[in-house]
Amino acid sequence: MHALLYLTGRSLKNRIRKALHKPVTYIYLVIILFYLLAVPFGVRAMFEDIKLDSPEGMTAVFTVFAFWVIPVNLVAYARRKGLIYRRSDAHFLFPSPIGPKTILLYAHSKTLLTGLFMNIVLVLGCIYVFQVEPWRMLLYFLFTVVVENTLEGGIMLLLYGSERLGERERKWIVAVSYGLIGLLVLLAFVTCLGKSGSIRFEDVLAYLHSDGVQMVPLIGWYVAVLHLLFLGPTAVNVICSLLYLGTVVLVVWAAIRMKCTGEYFEDAEKFADDYDTVLETRRQGRTDVQLGRKKKVGKASITYRGKGAKAIFYRQLLEYKKSRFFIFDINTLCALIAGCFVSFLCSGEEGFAAENSSLILAGAMAYVTLIFSAYQGKWGKELLTPYTFLIPDNPFRKLWYATLMQHVQALVNGCLYVLVPVIVLHIPLSTAALTVLCYVVFCACKLYILTVAEVAVGNVLGNVGKQFFQLFLLGIVILLGVLGAALGMALGGINLAYVVMLVLLSLVLVILLTISTLCFYRMETLKS
Amino acid sequence: MLEVMDLSKKYGKVRAADHVSFTVPDGRVGILLGPNGAGKSTVIKSIAGLLRFEGQVRIQGIPSREKAARKIFAYVPEMPSMYDMLTVREHMEFIRRAYGAETTDQEVEELLARFELLDKQEKLGNELSKGMMQKVSICCALVIHPQVILLDEPMVGLDPAAIKELKQMVLELRDRGATVLISTHMLEMVKELWDITFVMNQGHILGSYNREQVGDEDLEELFFAVTGQEKKDQTAVGQEKEDLTVTGQEKKDPAAAGQEQNGSAAAEREQKDLAATGQEKQDSEKGSSNAGEGGQ
Repeated sequence: MHALLYLTGRSLKNRIRKALHKPVTYIYLVIILFYLLAVPFGVRAMFEDIKLDSPEGMTAVFTVFAFWVIPVNLVAYARRKGLIYRRSDAHFLFPSPIGPKTILLYAHSKTLLTGLFMNIVLVLGCIYVFQVEPWRMLLYFLFTVVVENTLEGGIMLLLYGSERLGERERKWIVAVSYGLIGLLVLLAFVTCLGKSGSIRFEDVLAYLHSDGVQMVPLIGWYVAVLHLLFLGPTAVNVICSLLYLGTVVLVVWAAIRMKCTGEYFEDAEKFADDYDTVLETRRQGRTDVQLGRKKKVGKASITYRGKGAKAIFYRQLLEYKKSRFFIFDINTLCALIAGCFVSFLCSGEEGFAAENSSLILAGAMAYVTLIFSAYQGKWGKELLTPYTFLIPDNPFRKLWYATLMQHVQALVNGCLYVLVPVIVLHIPLSTAALTVLCYVVFCACKLYILTVAEVAVGNVLGNVGKQFFQLFLLGIVILLGVLGAALGMALGGINLAYVVMLVLLSLVLVILLTISTLCFYRMETLKS
Repeated sequence: MLEVMDLSKKYGKVRAADHVSFTVPDGRVGILLGPNGAGKSTVIKSIAGLLRFEGQVRIQGIPSREKAARKIFAYVPEMPSMYDMLTVREHMEFIRRAYGAETTDQEVEELLARFELLDKQEKLGNELSKGMMQKVSICCALVIHPQVILLDEPMVGLDPAAIKELKQMVLELRDRGATVLISTHMLEMVKELWDITFVMNQGHILGSYNREQVGDEDLEELFFAVTGQEKKDQTAVGQEKEDLTVTGQEKKDPAAAGQEQNGSAAAEREQKDLAATGQEKQDSEKGSSNAGEGGQ
């Protein structure tokens, strides 16, 4: 334990010291501070609107959270997940004489510090939002930090560290946990429908405060403690709170007695490996690797037609052919959803007027492009591959062929984006075609901005700073598009608005392409 | 002493290690050889306690998962991973505390100096190159004065000076009576180090060889003879080339073996035995690869 305290303390100290030297830390602090101050005001207004700005309201909100969080934690620990390990833990900790249970507690403690901070924020926020007496919130804070964490730690040891639970038993725990959530929700429906024949807000609240819910083992007993703390004692919540405390003692006793020789190291090491891989890809700005999910790759072949930079295009095509969803990705899905959403907004009697639909279509397109500005796709990966720089061809051709497939992708996504609006809103084909072209140019601008950002601020601001810079540049491009559209609308209607926007964006694209080529050349010479 | 007894490990339906048994006595350097996918890493990770397995591993007679065994056991993995926010020196300190080692500051400094890390001791884990990480990993293993040490591909990423230092360190450990097990592909690097060699393939120990019994025989030849792989650089070995070729042919057709070549007698004997009994290779090796017994 002494060594683990040393590890945690030193890591924290070095992390803070290092962070203080980075300007981006202060930007984050300002953003976090802004959210911490702004969110309670917004949340209070929201809870006032729905008449939940009271200790009863808070207890109901916490009860709903408990319905979800407690079973999900059980599931995570039963699956030997929910604890963060790094490869360094597998290297140094697992073979060491430090007890396997202590290592589990160490991993659990990694989340405690964040939890402690969140709890302080929660306590202060709840005093303001729900007008709970401070001493009650202080009691709740102590209960959460000491009792709740002890119980969670004990359950974690019993489930994660157990060497008696086989695969089958673990699957049962997962099923029962999810079943419990289902049962609680089902009971809510049955109770509410039984009372008034419909689901009314006050019936749901009555259900959440009911004695029946407080009698459900573990989740209900926790809810009973909340009722005791915030709403005062009743026979049921006192008994159930005692049962909760009894459970804590029992779980801790069982966890101490349980034999654990470290069989879980195998799963923990696998997790550490996956986790570090995901962290590495996130640092590179990639989102394609998901924790615990293996990418499925099929078989495919390709005939390379051409030499030099063209090989990049064919290699990408081969990768897409092997990919499970070919060229369709998250952008495709978002384009389709955005198209449907625009159609929904503009259709029906209460919808926006049909004449605005083309404008809304353009606005939604810009928005979708903007929120996915950090998604780098294949071009982002190409920039990390030395082969992209080593291929003997000129920078412009390399830039073009390395991004060509993504332009094709944007064209397909653009077509899918306008598909539903064309059918539902009867948007003219000419307008739809112009929308698609604008979408392609927008996406192309986004791609080339990545290269510019990489060279301009990549080494100075880090990955997050680079993403902010990309967002900023893309914002300027969108602003220019909006100005062009406004000018076109003033001069002669929606189609002219699209044409002016397209001309302006194309000009920007040519400029970006030129700068990007120069930047790419610079990266190439720097790397080589 | 390191004892691996009847160790088996399955990944789904694939048996990565199948009834593997071997022993490395005190004051000896064992080498675990095998081509890619032979199961070496599985055995190494099982010994280090990172995998669930069937069978037993004992360190100085103590089951490997027990605290007392872990206190005297050091492990250098193939891919070192440092704590991002600990400096080199803090890594050493952490290990010292974790193992309750009574190593003095002076000893730590000497270790760092031997591996040219003195000027890097304030660098954070995430600021180190692969080679540096490997050096830190080795230093962390040595700082606890292990009685049994397991090195998985320890030379990868090291510069020539560090390789020389590591070899010297291994010999010193051996002379101090420690048990050393090295898993490696780099046969050249361990030529002068080994006392016992275990050759693995397809999850089985194919043969174990004691230096005193094998004499000056080339480790490479032993390896290729036992695994049935071709040695690629055949022009460089002169007369040995013919011996090896003959051995290779014999391996493919053990029943036709008419003579024992000096360079791979043990392997050939094993092949002939197999051919005679009709048993599978692995069966003949089950539980019988005790280094103390020497070659098969």
